[in-house]
Amino acid sequence: MSTLMFEGFPKDLVVGDLADGSVTLTVDAAVYPLEAVYGAAYIFIDRCFVLLDRPKAGSVSVTLTDKKGAADAGALRQMAGEFANELLTQAWRQKIVEENRVLLETVTMQALAGATATPAEPSLDDLANFDFTEEAFDDPLGIAMSWEEKYKKKTPAEVAGEAPAEGAPEGKP
Amino acid sequence: MLAGIEKPSVTFPAFFRVREVSGSFVVTNAQGDWVVLTAPEFKAFGEGTVERGTDLWDRLKVANLIRSEFDVPAAVARLKKRMKFLENGPNLHMLIVTLRCNETCVYCHASRADMEAVQTDMSAEVAEKSIELALGSPSPFITIEFQGGEPLVNFKVVKHAIEYGQRRALEVGKSIEFTMVSNLALMDEEKLSFLLDHKVQICTSIDGPEHLHDKQRKLIASSAFKAAVHWINRINQAYIERGLDPSLYHVEALLTTTREALSRGREIVDTYKSLGCRALHLRPIDPFGFVEKTASRVEYPREEYLKFYRDTTDYIIELNKKGEQILERYAAIFLTKILNGEDPNFLDIRSPSGAGISAIAYNYDGLVFAGDEARMMHETGDDTFLLGRVGELTYDAMMKHPTIRSLVLASNVNGRPDCVNCAYNPYCGVDGVHTYKTQGSISGRMRESTVSAVHKGIMDYLFEKIRENDPGTMEVFRRWTINRARDHFVQVPG
Repeated sequence: MSTLMFEGFPKDLVVGDLADGSVTLTVDAAVYPLEAVYGAAYIFIDRCFVLLDRPKAGSVSVTLTDKKGAADAGALRQMAGEFANELLTQAWRQKIVEENRVLLETVTMQALAGATATPAEPSLDDLANFDFTEEAFDDPLGIAMSWEEKYKKKTPAEVAGEAPAEGAPEGKP
Repeated sequence: MLAGIEKPSVTFPAFFRVREVSGSFVVTNAQGDWVVLTAPEFKAFGEGTVERGTDLWDRLKVANLIRSEFDVPAAVARLKKRMKFLENGPNLHMLIVTLRCNETCVYCHASRADMEAVQTDMSAEVAEKSIELALGSPSPFITIEFQGGEPLVNFKVVKHAIEYGQRRALEVGKSIEFTMVSNLALMDEEKLSFLLDHKVQICTSIDGPEHLHDKQRKLIASSAFKAAVHWINRINQAYIERGLDPSLYHVEALLTTTREALSRGREIVDTYKSLGCRALHLRPIDPFGFVEKTASRVEYPREEYLKFYRDTTDYIIELNKKGEQILERYAAIFLTKILNGEDPNFLDIRSPSGAGISAIAYNYDGLVFAGDEARMMHETGDDTFLLGRVGELTYDAMMKHPTIRSLVLASNVNGRPDCVNCAYNPYCGVDGVHTYKTQGSISGRMRESTVSAVHKGIMDYLFEKIRENDPGTMEVFRRWTINRARDHFVQVPG
C-alpha cells in the first residue's frame, strides 16, 4: 500500500492508494445527507468500483477504485475533486428540490399532462387564484422584518411581556 | 457586498436575481422581466431608497420588481406566456431512416455506418409504426424530421413515410410538416421534384468556406461543399419557380463549430451570406458520436468559443446594419425570451428541456428514444434513454415512462444548483441527456457545465448590447425576434 495525500484536500479526509488505484474520502454525515452521498457515488459506477463504509459514528467513507486499475496520482486527485463537487451539488440540489417542490411538481405535472392530453391538477392557471396578500410563510427568526423593526428599542412593557428564552442544545442527541 | 450595498432592504425589492455584467447589474424576476442597472441604481434598489416618481422607480415598476407595487395578474400572465410550450406534448418526431452515409465527418454525431450497411436502413413497416406513434401526440401540429446517416440513401422509405404520414395526418385531423436534414450530395431532379411536390422543407450542413467544409466532411472523389452548394442554389431557384417568397423560402444550413472554425468566423458568415442563408447558428460542438474519439482534434475550451461567438456576432450585427438580413440563431432564441417574453421552443434551451415531452427519436430498427441525443447515446452503447420499440410501445406508456418524468424533473432550472440563483434562470435550460453524457447525472453540475458556460456567456454579451442601447443594434435585435412562419410547408387537414 502506498498512501497518497493530495494538494488542496485535507489529509485526514482524502487519502489515495496508488497501488490499488483508489482514493478514499471521509464525509461528515452532519454536513452531507446520506442521500447526497449515494447520489454522488452512483455517478462513478461506470468508471470505478465504489464502496461506502461507516468508519465511525457520524462519518461515511467512500472508496473509489479505478476499474482499469491504472489511475495515476493526477487521475486520483481528479476523481476526488469531481466526487467532492458532485457531493456538494447533490446535497444542495436535495435542499433546493425540497424548497421548490410545489413549483417543480406543478411544472412537471403540467408538462406530462400536456403530453398525455389529461388535465393537470394543479395547473399554472391556479396561480392566478393564489392569494398573495396572505403571509407567505412563518418567519420566527424575523428574516423578513426590516432592521429597524427587528432591533428597535423596546418599551419597558414589551420587555416585561417577553417569555424567557430557552437554550437549544448544540447538534442532535 | 454587491455594488456597495450597506443595509439591504427586505421590504422594497420584490423577488429578484442579479448578475454583474461588465460593471452593470442585470436584475431579473421569476417571470423573466428584467432591468439593467448601474452600480448606484442597484445600490438604491437593494437598499430600498429609490424615490417614487423617478425614472428608476418607473423602470423597476414596469419590470415588476417593487414589492409594494407587485402586479400579480401581470406576473401570472407573463409566466403562462413563457411556459406555453408545456401545453401540447411532443411535436418533433425524428425518423432515423438509415445510419448509412456517403460522407465521413470528423465530428459525426449521428454515428454513421458505411454505405454497405443496409441492415441499418429503416423498413417501411417501422416508418409506418413510428408515424402512428407520433400521431398519438395531443399536439395538433406534428413535424416529421428525416435524419440519418444520410436520409437520401434510403429515399424509398422517406417517400413512403411522407405519403403515409400525409394520408394518416389528414385522417386524424392533424397538421403535419416534413423536414429533411441532408448533405444533398445524393440529390437528383427526381427526388427533388418529389420533395417539392410534397412540401418537404430541406435543410443541410455547411461548416464554412469550401476548404474548411471539405476538410471536415469527406466525400469520396468529390467536393462535399460543391455538391451542397449546387443543390442549395437549385432548390432556392425551384422555390422561386413555384412562386414562393425567397426571403422566407430558401435552404437553411447548420454549422458545427470545430476548433478550426474558431479563427474563421467572418469567412463562415460570408459563406452563409453568399448561399442566401438568413440564419446562422453558431453551435459549439456536441460531445456525442465520433467526437468521443476525435475530441483532441476538434474540441476547444469554451472561453475560446465565446470569443469566437462575440467577434462573429459583432460582424453579423454590422452586416445587418448595412442592410443584410441574416440572424444568429442563439441570439434570436435568447432575445425572443428576453425582449418578447416568449419561448421560441428551442428544445435544448428550455426548462424543462424538450427531451421526451417535445421531441422523440425513432431509430432505424424501431427503438424509440427521448430525443436524438438519447438515440446517439444508444449508438455508443448506452440505453439509459431508451423508451421502447414501435409496435409495442403505446403513446400513453411512452409519455408516462419514468425516464421522461425524470428528465422533466431534472432539467427544471428551479431544481438545479447554480441555475436556481442565476439571473438568467427564466431564459435558460440545459438538456439532461447532455449532462448525463458529460457529467454522469441528468441534473448535472452547472458550474462545471460547458453548456451552462456558453449560455451565460452569450447572455452576458446580449445584455451588454442591451445596456449600450445602440438604436441600430436594438433594431437588429428586434427583427431577430420576429418569427415568420413558413406556412407553405405546413399541411393542414381539410
